[in-house]
Amino acid sequence: MKKVLIANRGEIALRVMRACREMGLATVAVYSDVDRAALHVAYADEAYRLGPGPATESYLRGDLILEVAQQAGADAIHPGYGFLSENAEFAEACETAGITFIGPPASAMRALGSKTKARQAADAAQMPRVPGSVKGLATIEEALSVAAQIGYPVMLKAAAGGGGKGMRAVLAATEMAAAYSTASSEAERSFGSGEVYLEKLIERPRHIEIQVIADTHGSCLYLGERECSVQRRHQKVIEEAPSAVVGEDLRRRMGEAAVRLALSAGYVNAGTVEFLVDSDQNFYFLEMNTRLQVEHPVTELITGLDLVAMQLRVAMGEPLGVRQQEVYLRGHAIECRIYAEDPENNFMPSPGKITRLLQPGGPGIREDCGVYEGWTVPLDYDPMLSKLITYGATREEAITRMVRALDEYVVGGIRTNIGLFRRILLDEEFRSAQIDTGYLDRLLAHSATEDESTVPEDVIALAAAILTQRQKTSSLSPVPVAVSRWRSAGRTEGLRA
Amino acid sequence: MKTWLRLGDKKRCVELPDNITEPGRHACIVDNRTVEADVMVTEENILSLIVEGRQYRCLLDGDALVLAGRRYEFAVEDPRSLRGRSGGAEGSSGPRTLKAPMPGRVVRVMVSVGDEVEAMQGVVVIEAMKMQNELKVPKAGRISKVAVATDATVEAGQVLIVVE
Repeated sequence: MKKVLIANRGEIALRVMRACREMGLATVAVYSDVDRAALHVAYADEAYRLGPGPATESYLRGDLILEVAQQAGADAIHPGYGFLSENAEFAEACETAGITFIGPPASAMRALGSKTKARQAADAAQMPRVPGSVKGLATIEEALSVAAQIGYPVMLKAAAGGGGKGMRAVLAATEMAAAYSTASSEAERSFGSGEVYLEKLIERPRHIEIQVIADTHGSCLYLGERECSVQRRHQKVIEEAPSAVVGEDLRRRMGEAAVRLALSAGYVNAGTVEFLVDSDQNFYFLEMNTRLQVEHPVTELITGLDLVAMQLRVAMGEPLGVRQQEVYLRGHAIECRIYAEDPENNFMPSPGKITRLLQPGGPGIREDCGVYEGWTVPLDYDPMLSKLITYGATREEAITRMVRALDEYVVGGIRTNIGLFRRILLDEEFRSAQIDTGYLDRLLAHSATEDESTVPEDVIALAAAILTQRQKTSSLSPVPVAVSRWRSAGRTEGLRA
Repeated sequence: MKTWLRLGDKKRCVELPDNITEPGRHACIVDNRTVEADVMVTEENILSLIVEGRQYRCLLDGDALVLAGRRYEFAVEDPRSLRGRSGGAEGSSGPRTLKAPMPGRVVRVMVSVGDEVEAMQGVVVIEAMKMQNELKVPKAGRISKVAVATDATVEAGQVLIVVE
């Protein structure tokens, strides 16, 4: 493997290219018309245009991407996350074209891709899963009888689902008919398949997932867990590793179950097995994500491993070279997903020009960023700008460090959710790790208590007036008035003395 | 020079010397109190301010001041306007416009000219960053203008609908 095409954009494209560069691999970027000036293009060794802005005409065009790969002489494609990363047909097309797809084989993707199939695979691997059906429900009557067996409340879910679409909680039999038809039609519209299944609703579950990686020589490791319970509308907002509630024994049991599932499905490369964990520490298989995840950096920080580099080596056919007992977890890491959206205005997306970008630094900070000052965030894609990750010896230290880093972080020109993170990180329940997947929605249901500001109002008024006046005068006289630097320096020094 | 500001629900008056943007110490007046400030504009729209030994790094972002990670929205007020900002607000009797709160693409327009609408009725759906947002009319009435069509790209603040 000499040259890798990255079939993605934003921070993840950069993340993959960085690993490639460290390993001496040439990088090929692809871009849509609205991304010509994007950071991932400027970072790459080679770059090729795909098409117009909409993803369906650019980043989702597997045929075009393969053409570019062949034209550029790339011998592998890394799909990142989203877009084509879990598309079995694309993985297969790569194989046919003689190009390495950096990810699992199409067969493993198919075996685990649909939620109902994944539940069957979980049964075969003898791992606990949420009680309910393992295949699509043909009729409302079938849904009613399954629900009666496992007991209400239950959850209707789209087999092809993701991101909370095609999902309905059903509290009693009387609600089933309506929930069944809305879930099914929403699934049909979102995923092109109306297949829904049913599972027992776990109350106040925590979302905890296990990172696995398998090589082509039959070895598979689990790299600890990540807790992603802080979610808004089923979208992860904060992730951390390790989980505050997972001890050594539970970690081993969950890890071994995840490895069993991966091996039984013939899985290769990095993947994530998601679980729900109830208040009694019972864990239930939820689904498997057959790709690199957004939140992989928290695992990297506590294991000291480079997951993307491992992915590349596995794709080259190398053995993992690490044994399970050599995987150590050390310290604590937290990730905040910085989005271009306005939490004070119903999380409305906020695309536009980034007029100012001040990024945090110092000990224990990692930022995987896909944007830069002066760039205009296009409205065609996901609003994630950057991932801010902090590392500390303890959870408490990682949290305080994150609060400090957020105070340093300024994104001007567009609105971001930075303020929301401060609210969560300072919240008592989050601090004491009393979180579940409904935590954030409950927090947001209360209006924010005024964040105690330590800055005197006089200073705020003064600063606002000075900067406003400065802006006014600089727009009146675009040519700066010649002030002798010596003279002003002398004046400052004189006053200081 | 005097500047009137609205900060939250308070109105403040700040009087600055004419050479305020020159680096150095300046005597400023905030609501009749004199404040000694050491001013240093370090970058465009970024100010390092030292008041009584405390240093504040301030950044101007549109209509807000960003300071120690927090946003403080403010408005510069016209001293001649006695009624302040709220004085010019549109009442419920006149025509009201629905503006795009963000740039995006129009996915659906659910009304046409002449339609009667209820207050807070959804009339236009705009998509940006993979999210669809339904926009609602601010008051009940009759649609007098539809300024956009499906698939149009709109800017933030652009008028979409007028209701009378």
